[in-house]
Amino acid sequence: MKNKKFLVGLALVGGVAVGFSADVPTPDQVKQLKEMGILPSDVIVDEGNDYFHNLKGPNGKTCASCHGQDGAKLVGAYAKMPRYYKDIGKVADIDIRIKACMTKYMGFPNDKKFKKKFTKKYRVPLAGYVATLSNGMKINVTLDDPQEKELYEFGKKLWYQRVGGRDLSCAICHEIYAGYRIRLQKLGAPVRDKLYAHWPAYRFSKDKLWTMEDRIRGCYKSYFLYLGKKWHKKKDWVKKPPYYMKEIVALELFMKKAANGATIEVPGLLR
Amino acid sequence: MKKIAFASLILGVGAIVACQAPASKAEQKAAKPAKKMSKEEKFRAALAKQDKYQKACSNEKQLVPEGIPLEQFKKDMLATIKYPKGGVVGDWKKGEKLFGDPKKGGKGKGNCYACHCGDPSIIACGNIGPSLRGYGKRGIDPKTTYQRIYNPWSIQPCSAMFRFGVHGILSPEQIAHVTAFLHDSNSPINK
Ligand code: HEC
Ligand code: HEC
Ligand code: HEC
Repeated sequence: MKNKKFLVGLALVGGVAVGFSADVPTPDQVKQLKEMGILPSDVIVDEGNDYFHNLKGPNGKTCASCHGQDGAKLVGAYAKMPRYYKDIGKVADIDIRIKACMTKYMGFPNDKKFKKKFTKKYRVPLAGYVATLSNGMKINVTLDDPQEKELYEFGKKLWYQRVGGRDLSCAICHEIYAGYRIRLQKLGAPVRDKLYAHWPAYRFSKDKLWTMEDRIRGCYKSYFLYLGKKWHKKKDWVKKPPYYMKEIVALELFMKKAANGATIEVPGLLR
Repeated sequence: MKKIAFASLILGVGAIVACQAPASKAEQKAAKPAKKMSKEEKFRAALAKQDKYQKACSNEKQLVPEGIPLEQFKKDMLATIKYPKGGVVGDWKKGEKLFGDPKKGGKGKGNCYACHCGDPSIIACGNIGPSLRGYGKRGIDPKTTYQRIYNPWSIQPCSAMFRFGVHGILSPEQIAHVTAFLHDSNSPINK
């Protein structure tokens, strides 16, 4: 698996990707990579597939033991997420839902150490794999539960909230100035253009598959700067919200609801 | 450094509570300095620091304040502006580094190239704000430029351009240097 990734790096450096290093590869180039069998995002999703079927919890269960061979019972699930789950009593996004299954149903310890391992190792491949099971289906977030409605409103508030030492909000960059550039980076419109349809997405510039949790954390880290003495000394910034925070799920719910009707095509391929 | 920041945050919270009328039991409990704030708490505390003007701009229009009349808003913002001893026009060469150092690809403390083009040699420039090429030739009063950088909301409430002086991103002296960079006839902005 490592080797495959290394190959991609080589292929990118070695010619296929030269000249567009700061850009998304053209469809032709993607096709070429696909034919060579080395689309890096596929490697990560394959890893998730492997965990899904073969990773046993301390109690011997695998994801497939409950959710079916090839995730048969999870087809279409991602199209409705984040949503409220009765068994855990809260609204969960894909990252949180999978973590809950592992600790609640597979016997993994619900402690800091496992949380860290989950976040770094299992989360992205599994989320990527489960999301692909809804490929070709339309996003359909319904907000039936009061908790979902409340969280959606909270997400909307966060979206428009001007805050921090840069007086910014998500909406300034991704709604008001969508289509403009920050330096050379074009600002997308996740809400208006239903961009959630291509998340989780693989980012060539980072050689990483990101879930929406990673993306939101990234934007908070890069673009919001908080007040406080000597904030410009990096270590005093409030850098980004930790994983699995309610605030993150709220923003996801807001953006995904806006993407209702869009056809899921993941993992997306981004700069 | 981190510890000092925590301490000042906690002291800050404590001081606010102390100035208010007797707090309820629950509030007193909440205000009790925690040993160490969790990352979640730190993030929420940072979000909660939104000031009343940011709040007024947090509506769906984003660029028009709600709840504070426009003229009042501008007046309040104007009152935040502090001026340096040496006047509002400083040293343009220092200003160039702050605006975005050409030797560092246009990066700098002010990071103005994120939103503006200026020096034609810096190609990686954003377009959220208007191009500032030739800005010094437009007959704009340097004092207005200084105000615009120190607190853009004094001219354009809720602008996407952040309040560099208010937040201490740039000091009054530094803003004077950037002002010079925008106005000096030798500056690449005006070449
Ligand atoms: C012992 C059984 C069990 C195991 C093992 C298990 N889960 Fe679950 N999973 C559940 C239950 C129960 C739910 C809640 C279903 C509901 O409320 O609709 C659930 C829900 C989910 C959902 C949301 C489904 C939906 O319809 O929205 C996803 C995604 C999911 N699990 C992924 C996983 C993954 C990935 C693994 C392996 C890491 C896993 N689960 C392991 C029992 C299990
Ligand atoms: C200062 C501008 C700025 C702010 C503020 C900002 N972002 Fe972003 N965001 C960006 C840029 C630039 C990118 C593209 C990054 C890249 O390609 O490396 C991006 C990418 C994204 C994407 C992916 C878009 C796509 O193409 O699929 C999402 C979703 C997103 N941001 C959400 C948010 C949310 C939610 C917030 C508020 C918490 C936020 N952003 C705040 C600049 C911003
Ligand atoms: C987040 C984007 C952003 C950043 C960063 C930014 N500006 Fe602006 N700037 C704007 C916008 C938008 C305007 C247009 C007027 C308005 O909406 O306030 C503007 C207007 C201006 C103007 C007035 C232009 C005119 O034609 O009258 C000046 C001067 C200016 N900016 C200087 C700066 C300087 C100097 C910096 C760096 C210290 C900077 N800006 C950083 C967004 C930005």
